[in-house]
Amino acid sequence: MRTDALPLEPVPLSVEQAESMLQSHLKKHQVAIVLLHWFNASVWGLELLTGLALITSPWFRFAPAWLVEMVEGLFGSRANLIRFHVNLGLLWIFVFLVYGVFGFRTFLAREVLQKEIGLDRDDWRWLIVRTLRILGRSQEPLPPQGVYNAGQKLFALAVYSLLPVIMLTGLVMAFQLFGPAAVGWAVVLHFAAVGLVVAGLLIHVYMGAVFPEEKPAFFSMITGEVNEHYAYRHHFKWWREVKQAELEWAERQGAEGRPAETPSSPGPGPTSPA
Amino acid sequence: MSNSLTRRRFLGGVAATGAAAAASRAGAQGHPRGRKAGRRVETVATLCEMCFWRCGVLAEVEDGRVLRVEGNPDHPLTKGRLCARGNAGTGLLYDPDRLKQPLLRVGQRGEGRFKPVSWEEALDFLADKLKKIKAEHGAESVAFFPHGIGSRFFGTLMKAYGTPNSGEPSFAQCRGPRDVGYRLTFGQGLGSPEPVDLEHAKMVVLIGSHLGENVFTSQITAFADGLASGAKLIAVDPRFSTAASKADWWLPIRPGTDIALLLAWMNVLIAEGLYDQAYLDAHATGFRELAAHVKELTPEWAAAITDLPAEQIRETARAMGEAKPAVVVHPGRHVTWYGDDTQRARAMAILTALLGSYGRKGGLFFPTPVPRGDVALPDFPEPARERADGAGTTYPLASEESGLTNGLIEATLTEKPYPIKGWIVYAQNVLESIPQPQRTREAIAKLDLMVVVDVLPVEQTAYADLVLPEATYLERYDPPVVVTTAKQPFVSVRFPAVEPLHESKPGWWIAKELARRLGLSDFFPWDTPEQHLAAVIEPMGVSASELRARGALAFPGRPYLEDRTSDDEPHFPTGSGKIELYSQELKDLGADPLPRYTPPAEPPRGYLRLIYGRAPVHSFARTQNNEALHALMAENEVWLHTRSAQELGLRHGQRVVLENEDGLRGRPVRVRVTEGIRRDCAYLVHGFGHGGTALRRASGRGASDTSLMSRVAVDPLMGGTGMRVNFVRPVAAGGKS
Amino acid sequence: MARYAIVTDLRRCVGCQACTVACNAEWDVPAGQARTHVRATPLEGAFPRLVQSPFVAQCNQCDRPPCVEACPSGATAQRDDGIVSVDRAVCIGCGFCVEACPYDARFIDPRRRKVDKCDFCLERVAHGEQPACVTTCTAHAKYFGDLEQRDGQVFELVYGRGARRLETPAVAVGPNVYYLGTAQQLDLVQKSFPPREPRLPAAGEGWRRVVRPLVLAAVGATFLGQAVAFFNQLAKGEKDFED
Repeated sequence: MRTDALPLEPVPLSVEQAESMLQSHLKKHQVAIVLLHWFNASVWGLELLTGLALITSPWFRFAPAWLVEMVEGLFGSRANLIRFHVNLGLLWIFVFLVYGVFGFRTFLAREVLQKEIGLDRDDWRWLIVRTLRILGRSQEPLPPQGVYNAGQKLFALAVYSLLPVIMLTGLVMAFQLFGPAAVGWAVVLHFAAVGLVVAGLLIHVYMGAVFPEEKPAFFSMITGEVNEHYAYRHHFKWWREVKQAELEWAERQGAEGRPAETPSSPGPGPTSPA
Repeated sequence: MSNSLTRRRFLGGVAATGAAAAASRAGAQGHPRGRKAGRRVETVATLCEMCFWRCGVLAEVEDGRVLRVEGNPDHPLTKGRLCARGNAGTGLLYDPDRLKQPLLRVGQRGEGRFKPVSWEEALDFLADKLKKIKAEHGAESVAFFPHGIGSRFFGTLMKAYGTPNSGEPSFAQCRGPRDVGYRLTFGQGLGSPEPVDLEHAKMVVLIGSHLGENVFTSQITAFADGLASGAKLIAVDPRFSTAASKADWWLPIRPGTDIALLLAWMNVLIAEGLYDQAYLDAHATGFRELAAHVKELTPEWAAAITDLPAEQIRETARAMGEAKPAVVVHPGRHVTWYGDDTQRARAMAILTALLGSYGRKGGLFFPTPVPRGDVALPDFPEPARERADGAGTTYPLASEESGLTNGLIEATLTEKPYPIKGWIVYAQNVLESIPQPQRTREAIAKLDLMVVVDVLPVEQTAYADLVLPEATYLERYDPPVVVTTAKQPFVSVRFPAVEPLHESKPGWWIAKELARRLGLSDFFPWDTPEQHLAAVIEPMGVSASELRARGALAFPGRPYLEDRTSDDEPHFPTGSGKIELYSQELKDLGADPLPRYTPPAEPPRGYLRLIYGRAPVHSFARTQNNEALHALMAENEVWLHTRSAQELGLRHGQRVVLENEDGLRGRPVRVRVTEGIRRDCAYLVHGFGHGGTALRRASGRGASDTSLMSRVAVDPLMGGTGMRVNFVRPVAAGGKS
Repeated sequence: MARYAIVTDLRRCVGCQACTVACNAEWDVPAGQARTHVRATPLEGAFPRLVQSPFVAQCNQCDRPPCVEACPSGATAQRDDGIVSVDRAVCIGCGFCVEACPYDARFIDPRRRKVDKCDFCLERVAHGEQPACVTTCTAHAKYFGDLEQRDGQVFELVYGRGARRLETPAVAVGPNVYYLGTAQQLDLVQKSFPPREPRLPAAGEGWRRVVRPLVLAAVGATFLGQAVAFFNQLAKGEKDFED
């Protein structure tokens, strides 16, 4: 089968095809990314909780007083609370630094810049359709998506631009750098950046953990894999890329005179592993 | 330090438990001095020397480091209170600019180039020099310039060496005229602290005293107590002082005319019968002569002289009369102003007597003697020549114990009555606190030997052949202080809180080691401070350990006339046994037996009279390099009246230099334009404008009043230097502002 | 519960600054900064009829302390005895409280980079001592005590002898430092050192007035959107979404 035999856009699947694709799995996330995601998620959970409890003033606070008191009580004192918040934040920054330094070529340059945050026309269209569908206003099929859908990309974009803000302002506060005025602005920026991320995070968590259509995505963050059917339906462009890569690999093997271990080709339908 | 005790003891029953570990969670900031659990902080009772009031302090010591000093609540006079300077004590101890090792001069005098030497080398050098001077010129050719109680051991050494020449600025540049004037009148001088019963006064009269800016802790407490109990206050000062701001009457007198005011006050008191007749009848002589003397000296006469309204003079006199005998006419401290200072002190003493205030509650009180012992010493050698400073001869009423600093400088300069070849300067600042510093410099140039024993590298150290770094008051033992001029007399003692830093040594050790090298060890027949202390307090019947633990011990006092029932104790040990309003002693000396007003020189056109004083956060020229005090007051300002500034075209905050009549110029100083000073005066806080560069905070900051004193008016009776006789004009300073 | 107060008698005070230095030494406050300042009112009148009063400033431990609300991290808190304390471990050095204090009693300690201020020496007080400024005051012009103690000296000075607080109708936050003095002294001090309106630096104002409402709105809106979606999901049944 040649690579140009792959469909250019999603076509309806037969029941058999769907069944078969549900059984087959594509590798979506490396273990490191899975671990990082959950590390990040727990840090966010804890930092949010302690951070919310750190802001006591009625002028500034986000959390209700009872939550502030409860969390403070949990930690014994505000000093412990802020120590925990700062130290965990420092650990978080350290882990991301390691990730950034050692994973620059593998992750940042390739994954992040190309796949995680670059939005194309399909992505923008997807955003609209997705929203309409969630609100029950449209039945239009979703435009094909890459390894991450536009929603995820948008969130990633926001997170990647706000993470440095959160980290730097955190450092300014933790070590009282550049004088009181700088620290003052750092608090506000920290709060604002986290607020924006949290707004996105709500969607992220909802889509990932609650919204039924994206359940495979949730589990992919545990197993690292998604079933091919989900990939075909939700991330068609990515599915096609993976398939194309597989076919090209097979062709090269064939040209070198080895027995072609070509995956079975369902003709016009999507390719599925043997 | 073995006898030190924890602070707990001083707090008595205040703290709940004895263990520091019992500290409850009181605040989240923690305590830098370890009131929290686990730290061992020792408390050592000693005496402050940030000025010379000798307040009781507790040094808190941890691991050989003084964390801070605070007031000693057991001190009978200061009761735990301490001024800004006292509270900044560790700033002196840990001043990075301190003299750290003995230094031998290698450059020219004044250049400040030295090589560090060992104590052995330094003392051998000094002993050789002293032997050489004694052999070639006689022991009298060495003059001693001491200050403070730490100088006593050097004083002993100098007498043993054979020189009578010693001059303390506390006499000739400070309190001398006062003590002489009061001794002439009441039979004894005043001493320090002066016995003023401020807390019971109904009227306080300050004449040129700026109590409040001039801070002596216990006297401030008593002053405030008096005011709070309703005492009236008269402040006579050409400047609107802090005291003036609290006064019922501020009398901005024309400088130098105080005697006229005092005589006019006497005039009113006598003319209106407001004096204490019964008291005078019982205790005084010479009233008739006095009454005749002041008969014509009316407020109207004085008004023209003093530039004060006659009515105000009359009104204040009447107020004094009403308040008598509970009136403190404060004798002041630095009173060497115009050369007629002994006579002005006499006038104040006479006024005190007219009001019946001496020995009365709310007035001046009697000292109560305390027997003071001493180690048994051989007789001092009789000097071959008389004193060189004229004390007791040219200046018949000068104290021979204190001597005349200026007399010694003069003798060095003129080589009369004989050349002075060596100076030993101990804790005195001859260039920055003694007037006519240009003459002092010339005198130093004539010396074969100039030695400075000090803690900080003030300007004069650059002129020394040998600099000996002394331990600060927190690192040394000094002779016990016996204060008789407190309502409860007391003995107090300074003991080291910590070992001397760097290579500094306590004065007693330096003097003793030098004595050994000069073959004069017999004059130091003791090995430890403890032995010396034991000899001094022997007749007092107190225990050394208790004294050291508490820092001071008080005895019952007999401050008022009614306490003095014993007949063998004359109230007024004058020649007549009475208060001498009319002084036969002065008459016999050919001086005015009753004070007479003599007009002071007036400022030439375009010049202002330079007056000076103190700020509460600095002591003389001693504390400007202290970090905490420098932060509160880094430099002084020259006060000019709004109109004077206007006429000179000067703005507030602008830098000027002051130029005196003889063309001497001071360092640049900022102008403070204020209504609070007479138009004919310019005022500087004393102690600023340090020369040299060794004091990294203080050098070159502000202007020195002393540097502008090219003239003095010497008091013909006691030889002190009147210093308010210099006139300056402010000249806008170029460059940085 | 105790209600601690300090009374400063301006008739006694000579402005010697012993309190400032004692406090700095007691609390290791760096030179150039101070928890308690001694000032004088500007000289008023014309020679020779002049008036002036000393003035001693320190934290007033206000009943309604604006600094507590201004503190984003909760480092500044009011204790039950009225003392407003700062927990250095929690302070982030943003300086909001410095601006908020109507008496300018707070400063950022440049060495520790945390806020510092007078807390009536609560560590000493807990040990049964008086605040350092009170103990050392050469003029015996300061009194420390508990206003709830009806037989105490401070109670007598405040309620018996009418010691005054430094307040204005506009800024009445219940200061617990009281002043005794002549009517003239109190007037001069009132005129020269009145409390100012509490304020926040631009960052704080921006946070309070703009950023916080925006973030609340953004998060709220997203949350609401999610809620709608969730109920939509519940209503339709999950099956509908599955393939």
